[in-house]
Amino acid sequence: MNKSGLPFLSASDLSRLIQSKEVSPIEATEAYLDRIESEDFRFHSYLTVMRGQALADATQAELDISSGNHRGPMHGVPVAVKDQFWSNGVRSTGGSRILADFVPDEDATVITNLRNAGAVVLGKTNMTEFAITGFSHRFSTPRNPWDIDTYTGGSSSGSGAATAAYLCATSLGEDTGGSIRFPATWCGLVGLRPSWGLVSRYGVMRGVWSMDTVGPISRTVEDAAITLGAIAGHDSKDPYSSRASVPDYRQSLGGDLNGLKIGVITEFMESDLVEPKVRQVVTDSFASLRELGATVEEVSVPLSMDAGVASAVLLSVEPALAQQAWLKEHIQDYGHDVRNLLLTGSLIPAQAYYKAQQLRTMLRQQVLDSLEKYDVLVLPTAGKGAQPRVEDPPITSKESSSRLAFLFTRMFNLASCPAMSIPCGFDDRNMPVGLQLGTRPGAEETLFKVAHAYEQATTWHTVRPPGMESL
Amino acid sequence: MSDLTKDEIRAMGKAVGLDIQDPELTEVMYSLNALLESLDAINPPGLNDVEPLPIILPPA
Repeated sequence: MNKSGLPFLSASDLSRLIQSKEVSPIEATEAYLDRIESEDFRFHSYLTVMRGQALADATQAELDISSGNHRGPMHGVPVAVKDQFWSNGVRSTGGSRILADFVPDEDATVITNLRNAGAVVLGKTNMTEFAITGFSHRFSTPRNPWDIDTYTGGSSSGSGAATAAYLCATSLGEDTGGSIRFPATWCGLVGLRPSWGLVSRYGVMRGVWSMDTVGPISRTVEDAAITLGAIAGHDSKDPYSSRASVPDYRQSLGGDLNGLKIGVITEFMESDLVEPKVRQVVTDSFASLRELGATVEEVSVPLSMDAGVASAVLLSVEPALAQQAWLKEHIQDYGHDVRNLLLTGSLIPAQAYYKAQQLRTMLRQQVLDSLEKYDVLVLPTAGKGAQPRVEDPPITSKESSSRLAFLFTRMFNLASCPAMSIPCGFDDRNMPVGLQLGTRPGAEETLFKVAHAYEQATTWHTVRPPGMESL
Repeated sequence: MSDLTKDEIRAMGKAVGLDIQDPELTEVMYSLNALLESLDAINPPGLNDVEPLPIILPPA
């Protein structure tokens, strides 16, 4: 295969070619690095490209594989990682000017795990400041490959842009309130927020300790499965990480959905926050799921629409506490949006925080009760497709202080449940729309099964952004 | 509930060691009042009896 065509393979197809020695990890890595060099000025997806280390890792991967030591499906596969994760000897900013020169002396466990699996880390991807708002960027704002005048979604904005623009084979993001699924839906990708505790948080810059999760942003469900398989598992440095054994998630791919029960959350489907075309596209996906054998019924989760408010309290208070020293000493180094969020979070009364945690507990119980009856819950990931980029506008009223009401991801963060966004069509402007699937804690295999069956029955994952169709 | 004023926001800031001045003061006033108002409006039956549990431990 022509080297310049390698970036357009799925990570899984590339992996198979590497394993069969038809493609070398060095060729694949060079192809991505060349493409980043020639194309990323348009997308602003990387903050740091690790050319030297990536080529050294690719060389080692090639040596290992040629000597018969193939470590698994991620061996030799070029990956991008969010700058929220510590990288040994590499600038790790968390998207912040405050950490513009921060160089950790060890890797986050997710990066250690990727390396142990033989993956090649291409570089650190752009993100919103400290991953605690959906919009505010301190270096540059990533562009959505489907329309560079629109935003990618955040906070894992660079991972979304890089994956959609074929500037990596697969990527890692972090999702505290939807930061994996938001860029996944707006960039036409598969994004998985795993169960809380399935993936180590060690070396991950903190948002809300009880909601932070690292997961894949990928072009296909199988790519997400092999990426998650490489990073999941217990870590003695994260005391809350799961001790359960990590399955080969590829084993859950394939087959029909006979016997599976899927609940459509009515509160979201009926919401005015969902544009008509998005509602139609998502509704159409239910017919496909039925054709695959699943039973699809409506279900009510009464507190689901209140997840945004409850999570907004937690997403303000906890980062404000974690960063209170910086907030006092470096307030002008923060961007406008994050500065406002942290100041607001510093003043929220304890009673409000306590009430938000009570609401969280009630909502979680409602979600888990629904998942006693249904294997998977489904809803739109967001009520609308990618919107024009807005550079941090001032807050001029109470109404203008909330900008993410259309994002429907937070229920699963509050409930500690895994959730995935997969492409399910396009809106009126031909921007991607995402179908969100959530399930019980620890049941990622169910998500992979349903998502893969739907993906294979449709063609959405094969459509490329404009200008990349024939590459 | 009535909205917090700028003076009240400034005083709350002082209580936690933050000297909040305009233009931040006005924006924080809008954001905090909006959030507290939204939260105040959510009162499902039985909420006061709930013992808040931030996490459920992952599968062993």
